[in-house]
Amino acid sequence: MTASPANAVNTSDAPQFDGSNDVAPAPEQYAVELENVTVAYRSYKERPTTLKETVIGAVKHRKFRYYETFNALSGVSLKIPKGQVFGIIGSNGAGKSTLLKVMAGVLPPTAGSVKVHGRIDSLIQLGAGFDAELNAIENIYLSGALHKKPRAEIKKRIPEILEFAELEEFATTPIKYYSSGMFARLGFAVAADRNPDVLLVDEVLGVGDERFRKKCEKVFERFLASGNTIVIVSHALGNLSNMADQIGLLSRGEFAFVGDPMGAIEKYRAEDYKTRLTQNN
Amino acid sequence: MTATALYGNFFYSIYDYREYLKESVFRDLRKKYKRSSLGYLWSMLNPLLMMIILTVVFSSIMKGRVENYAVFLFCALLPWTYFNGTVKSCIGTIRQNAKIIDQLPIPKYIFSVSSSFYNFVDLFLAFIPLLLVMWFTGHPIHSSIFLFPLMLIPLFFFSMGLGLLLAVSNVFFEDTAHLTDVLLRAMYFLCPILYARDMLPPWLVKYVVLNPMFGIIEGIRELLYFGTLPNLETYLLNLSGSVVVLGLGLYAFNKADDKFVYFI
Repeated sequence: MTASPANAVNTSDAPQFDGSNDVAPAPEQYAVELENVTVAYRSYKERPTTLKETVIGAVKHRKFRYYETFNALSGVSLKIPKGQVFGIIGSNGAGKSTLLKVMAGVLPPTAGSVKVHGRIDSLIQLGAGFDAELNAIENIYLSGALHKKPRAEIKKRIPEILEFAELEEFATTPIKYYSSGMFARLGFAVAADRNPDVLLVDEVLGVGDERFRKKCEKVFERFLASGNTIVIVSHALGNLSNMADQIGLLSRGEFAFVGDPMGAIEKYRAEDYKTRLTQNN
Repeated sequence: MTATALYGNFFYSIYDYREYLKESVFRDLRKKYKRSSLGYLWSMLNPLLMMIILTVVFSSIMKGRVENYAVFLFCALLPWTYFNGTVKSCIGTIRQNAKIIDQLPIPKYIFSVSSSFYNFVDLFLAFIPLLLVMWFTGHPIHSSIFLFPLMLIPLFFFSMGLGLLLAVSNVFFEDTAHLTDVLLRAMYFLCPILYARDMLPPWLVKYVVLNPMFGIIEGIRELLYFGTLPNLETYLLNLSGSVVVLGLGLYAFNKADDKFVYFI
């Protein structure tokens, strides 16, 4: 199990990869650069959640430390070229979400460095900044403001966002009355409108009906056409292999494989099969 | 991180996230008044009713000791209500905004600043019934009233600082809110709200003045009720005390910042 960097694609590891990526791009052509990123996660077992319990634990049992650290990511290096779709796969607990959080800048790595060139935005949870009591328009203002957009600028975008989300009729309904599909559509429409340089996606394509999903895919295509980068975590392997230029297979906090999608998926299936066998025994 | 950097970042973040602060303060106001027919009037009626109740009960006890107890009380209730509201609403801010914190690198104290600004609007609105009561009871309105904003600076800093400290604590200890309730109730009676300093036994005064809120409330009452200018030395003492408390809050936030993600 080696942690091979993304640019291994351009070397002997994956000679079958298409010609356009034969030459390693200059450093500034990477959208995301991770170097030796380690995240020592704290896993808490029976942590006292109140001050009272903490004091009792400290006085009675002389217990001060309730966590064990384990490396959610250990020494991950990765370079994602601009304009690519980079897929991340791996079994549960392999470190996929941790990796996205590190890229998003919400989880500072314990060691190593993270560099992101351009504006990064995440679709980890749709509609994260929404307030259930407010209606669609008010929520668009609110989440725009969260991204430092002035009100006047957001105002111009509102008709388009509502149209994309297909919610014009419900624009003044508090979103707590929305169905989960409507909520997700609004969340996606708001996020898509921000048009970041690097977009982090965590399994959100499963939302909405077939038609809306097609629409989302169109957005991604348009997004890529303008030279932006997508990093996507997914379990939908078939979909991912169509979209992704490269796939990284995470296994226990390390990249077991980085390179062409088919290779990654094959390796994942083989490994997944193995784990299932051992679990059954 | 040095104290200057802590403060610098803090004020810069407020500027940087001004759009969000505006939106979220208005959101909170809208939410608060959405389903009530009296709307914003509630912000004025609330302290007014509180004052009336307390005046009915305490004015006869205080008879002869305080002239125009209603105004005497109202002047102190104003900063207290702001302080109480800010601290209480700051406590839960990290948990309430966990979803945002989980995917957007945002200075996390922004949510507490928002609560503080929101309570500030309430304070501003409550100032109107105070003026009305003063006018109605024939209490002289001194020109020193224009210095009121100056007196709010230590109040703002101190409330914010304590709110931040408790917000951090609440991430790790879920009983913070309960403890705060007790703390606030104790502070309410240990501050010169229902009474004045000279009604306390001298041995007690020695201790209660250590609470920065004591001086802050007293200063505001002197300014509004008696029309006396704050003693510069006392004012600076209050100001520096509150600056230290806010600094502590910012320091705690900064220190715990990386750990929040694991707890929420």
